[in-house]
Amino acid sequence: MSDYQQYLQERDRIDYLYQKGYKITNIKEDLEGAQIEFQRAEEDKETLHILTAEGRKYFSVRVIQQN
Amino acid sequence: MADLSINLAGIKSPNPFWLASAPPTNSGYQVQRAFEAGWGGAVWKTLGEPIINTSSRFAAISFNGQRVAGFNNIELITDRPLEVNLKEIYETKKRFPNHAIIASLMVEPQQEKWHEIVKKVEDVGVDGLELNFGCPHGMAERGMGAASGQVPALVEKQTYWVKEMAQTPVIVKLTPNITDITATAEAAVQGGADAISMINTINSLAGVDIHSWNTIPHVAGKGAHGGYCGPAVKPIALHMVGECARNPRINIPISGIGGVSNWENAIEFMLMGATGVQVCTAAMHHGFRIVEDMIEGLNNYLDEKGIASVNDLVGKAVHKYSDWGDLDLNYKVVARINNDVCINCNKCHIACEDTSHQCIDMLKDGEGNPILRVREEDCVGCNLCSIVCPVDGAIDMVELPNEFPPMTWNERQAAIGALACAVDTVK
Repeated sequence: MSDYQQYLQERDRIDYLYQKGYKITNIKEDLEGAQIEFQRAEEDKETLHILTAEGRKYFSVRVIQQN
Repeated sequence: MADLSINLAGIKSPNPFWLASAPPTNSGYQVQRAFEAGWGGAVWKTLGEPIINTSSRFAAISFNGQRVAGFNNIELITDRPLEVNLKEIYETKKRFPNHAIIASLMVEPQQEKWHEIVKKVEDVGVDGLELNFGCPHGMAERGMGAASGQVPALVEKQTYWVKEMAQTPVIVKLTPNITDITATAEAAVQGGADAISMINTINSLAGVDIHSWNTIPHVAGKGAHGGYCGPAVKPIALHMVGECARNPRINIPISGIGGVSNWENAIEFMLMGATGVQVCTAAMHHGFRIVEDMIEGLNNYLDEKGIASVNDLVGKAVHKYSDWGDLDLNYKVVARINNDVCINCNKCHIACEDTSHQCIDMLKDGEGNPILRVREEDCVGCNLCSIVCPVDGAIDMVELPNEFPPMTWNERQAAIGALACAVDTVK
């Protein structure tokens, strides 16, 4: 799978959680990419592991928009 | 005709093209010949205690048929007595009163030595002084040139001593052989400099002869590091000029030096903050008359742009030179190959496949002819294919419409940081 295809999948997963009412609450970046923590209600938490550079750019744009 | 005259910290010249302190400005004969050709100013080859030079002094780098792409020298400052130089400066200034003559100076870092030489050269009518804190070889081993130019405190102190005595504008010439040239530029400002010039030559060894195993150049089988200049150093010089021009604490004019070979190069330096330029290697390669093309080219450029004075160029591109953290991460360009121009040499494909992002496909068109096509979704816009392409117009780098709003790295990090703070607050 090309980086671009992988990015499209990551973007879809991020968009899906936003559509469900989640927001990004925490981001941990390390050697493996970024762990993005989403939260909707107190108990509703999800984590996405974003690997691609375009994906990291995309969630950054969403964080700025969310702020 | 546009106005090409400049005024650099009070030093006036009919155009922005000066000869740099170097072999072309060694004598009155040469400087007068340069002024006759059209040069607006000359920085006289560095005056100081006369030295003894070696035989075999220069070397050049040729690259793929381009002669003198880079130039290396181990020549030192003037080897003639001060009085001889002063007499010729006086005669030259008398003959060319409207041209700028700047005396390059280098003495040991002692107050009385600076005072003595400043008084002597100003008495013969120079328009300004340039302090040589940059020469990287020979003189540096004696505590002068780059040896003092690499120490901000020495730059400041010596500039101050000169300013105690000087009646004419003082330009401090900086060495590039330092991690951050703004440190010494700021020191020059603190010392009271009226202007700075950059860059002096870069420490270098031009080569090693693979048959004799001698250095290039060599002196009786031995070599020593020299100073590198010429077209190859232009990007380094331009960066250093830009760094100083955009530093708010360096608020004095800049004389740009380093690989300036034609009028286009001069415009680049001026757009990046230089008030004028100094030239050496190009004159050594092609002779003084290259200035005719420089003047004509600059004048035509200004006329075509409707710019009345060359001074209106100074610093116009400085605000575009920023830090990586302030670049827009969402800006995107991609390569597009024009197959009607492409000669199918496949250099772009090979470059992309071997050393970049593997996004140029070798395909066949409807008639079975070989074509190259970029998969734009995988192209990162690195420019490599267009750089290696031997045919003008075969590859365009095309801006894509912004999918997302502009976002810099600094903005991204601030937003992510704010997120963490918000979480901390909730906790």
